[in-house]
Amino acid sequence: MVGVGAGGLASADMVLNIGPQHPATHGVLRLRITLDGERIRRAEPIVGYMHRGAEKLFEVRDYRQIMVLANRHDWLSAFSNEIGVALTVERMLGMDVPERATWTRTLLAELNRVLNHLMFLGSYPLELGAITPIFYSFREREELQAVMEEISGGRMHYMFSRVGGLRDDLPAGWLGRVAASIAAVRRRLPDLESLLVGNEILRARTRGVGVLSPELIEAYGVSGPIARASGVDVDLRRDRPYLAYAELFAPGGPGRVVVRSAGDCLARLEVLLEQVHVSLDLAQACLDRLAALPAGPVNVKLPKVLKVPEGWDYVATENPLGFNGYYLVSRGDKTPWRLKLRSASFNNVAVLGELLPGTLIADMVAILGSMFFVVGDIDK
Amino acid sequence: MTMTDLPMPRVGPLQEATPKPMRLILNWGRRYSLWVFNFGLACCAIEFIAASMARHDFIRLGVIPFAPGPRQADLMVVSGTVTDKMAPAVRRLYDQMPEPKYVISFGACSNSGGPYWDSYCVTKGVDQLIPVDVYVPGCPPRPEALLQGILLLQQRIASEQPASRSLRKKSYADRRAAAAVLSRPFVSAQDRERLAGAPSESDVSRGTSDASRGTGDVSRGTGDVSRGSTDVSGEA
Amino acid sequence: MARQEKESRGLVPGLLSGMATTARTAFRPTHTRQYPDVAPDLPPRSRGVIALLADNCTSCMLCARECPDWCIYIDSHKETIPPASEGGRPRQQNVLDRFAIDFSLCMYCGICIEVCPFDALFWSPEFEYAETDIRDLLHEKERLGEWMATVPPPAAFEPGALEEVVVDEPATEEDATQPPEATR
Repeated sequence: MVGVGAGGLASADMVLNIGPQHPATHGVLRLRITLDGERIRRAEPIVGYMHRGAEKLFEVRDYRQIMVLANRHDWLSAFSNEIGVALTVERMLGMDVPERATWTRTLLAELNRVLNHLMFLGSYPLELGAITPIFYSFREREELQAVMEEISGGRMHYMFSRVGGLRDDLPAGWLGRVAASIAAVRRRLPDLESLLVGNEILRARTRGVGVLSPELIEAYGVSGPIARASGVDVDLRRDRPYLAYAELFAPGGPGRVVVRSAGDCLARLEVLLEQVHVSLDLAQACLDRLAALPAGPVNVKLPKVLKVPEGWDYVATENPLGFNGYYLVSRGDKTPWRLKLRSASFNNVAVLGELLPGTLIADMVAILGSMFFVVGDIDK
Repeated sequence: MTMTDLPMPRVGPLQEATPKPMRLILNWGRRYSLWVFNFGLACCAIEFIAASMARHDFIRLGVIPFAPGPRQADLMVVSGTVTDKMAPAVRRLYDQMPEPKYVISFGACSNSGGPYWDSYCVTKGVDQLIPVDVYVPGCPPRPEALLQGILLLQQRIASEQPASRSLRKKSYADRRAAAAVLSRPFVSAQDRERLAGAPSESDVSRGTSDASRGTGDVSRGTGDVSRGSTDVSGEA
Repeated sequence: MARQEKESRGLVPGLLSGMATTARTAFRPTHTRQYPDVAPDLPPRSRGVIALLADNCTSCMLCARECPDWCIYIDSHKETIPPASEGGRPRQQNVLDRFAIDFSLCMYCGICIEVCPFDALFWSPEFEYAETDIRDLLHEKERLGEWMATVPPPAAFEPGALEEVVVDEPATEEDATQPPEATR
């Protein structure tokens, strides 16, 4: 890549557009990069190519309809998204959710987290030039998607939770099949790992690249695995427990927060990889618990027209990619007056403007891929 | 920088004159070597990737997902929500594909807007911008549904008459595009000035688009596209 | 820590372990599903297409009103049924003229199936209905009825589930026969 040279080695700035349709942006993120030679001087993420106006659409939908639409902004964490809406509405209604529903929700949320992380564990090496890992990660994804489809009917958009619980109870024999899937994924994960963290080429391309400081993380509100890779020890599942996480993250429980201190691309990848293990442990714990629970309902009887009392509330959940918050303002109607969505990827990508300057253009893809974003989650 | 104005490679008139046996062979060849260009936009793109992976593996059907870009592709799969901001890019990448080219619209969003049917910023179906050969329903459709869509497209290619393509040429979207149009920057110098200075109303009134089916808000979003087509589609 | 341990491995062992994985996988049977030749086995809850049992439909319009995409079209008219017995009152009944679902718009959320008080709508796992013309994705009553043959029996629940889970309050007959009012 040669800039418009002014003679000799002196170079003038060159503006380079990455995207909006570029494989490395998995989706339609656009980056406007000013280059000096091959060093990035300025980077500006240009968002909005996937803006679909979800927040405005929430205002003309009732809560059940919102939940099926909320699946879709971050399409890799569909279940976590709908859980956020459900929790917000339930808290404003002061509704108690049956225990069986809570544990099933936790189980599905963790399986969804594994699905999300597997996608990035496959696509990130692809961006670095390693084609093979994505085949392994999609093999595991298919395994888990099969059980998710069996309970919810959908492979990606589950649309399975409702205010007060879940749409349906578990199909017969499902718990056993989930246990088998978890065991299969766990058994084959070393395959994927052997292609990733042990690989010296991948390590060389990611170690020490794109170091994100805790100060920047706090300034930009970065959250999730990216923040934890820089040593910012924050995880809403432990710090603000929702669903059944209070019990899972209690001392002696299977839950633990994965933290790294290096803050580089490799650390972010390692956090993701280790979180897969943790999530599988959590899912297994949920399974054991569900099998032991007494018979009970998975949802509560709702009034025919569900109206949320006047007021506001904000509930944030730890989505696979970071904090996902819903700020719900209700005026007592069956639709919200305003439902603001705080999505993780928006903040995680905003920090690119600080992170990229000073790095080499060849490292740009490595850094961009390691920020683990979903474009729909940025643009909403 | 100079821009060379080269026409897109086409087989057009030659193809129409081919005798029937030739045509059979041509169609057979095209059917099983569809170099696909994934216009991955949203959720459906993940299912597209799943379809290209080992479990579903559409290479078995002769769909090759290694096209380096639209210029080397025969088939474009539009998977995901097309927003009005993205619409010019969709159109341009379609124009960059050489003939013969096929489009599969994958999923509800690209079929007709889907869950975002009442959004202010979503194009209500990619067929307002480019001609679509096969519509795959679903939200998102399962990978097997894409495979079925591909099989349907292959059937269609097999029975393709040259006349049927030239029929499409007469319709709204199949037109010759010059290289200069295809490499024109997204934001023209004039637009850049406007963006830098005070916003003016001139661009809003520009949007009488022949690519759209006349829903007001959509045609405004695709203003850039329509301008492109009026530049070159004198013969269409 | 795990990291130090992995770091101590040099260039060669890391590459070799990756290659060993690839080599092992190369000799394992593939997990490819031969779709067009072998039909996929889909779970009964799989959301493929919506089937209509027109006899059960009272054209109460609940599905059309609750649909987030407004992709259900229903036309009906009222007919007066003569009294069954001598001296009885004639009854009014809705007759379904048109029931259509636009599958190009449908977001497959299943709300219509959930809210249907008379069990007229069902999920079928069938997915092979891609079309070359978008207008053919609008399935009319007859086509929706044909999907009924593919609807699987509902799967049993896991032990621990309550026998019957009431999700929705079933609408009363009176509600259902009221003409729909504009709700939004």
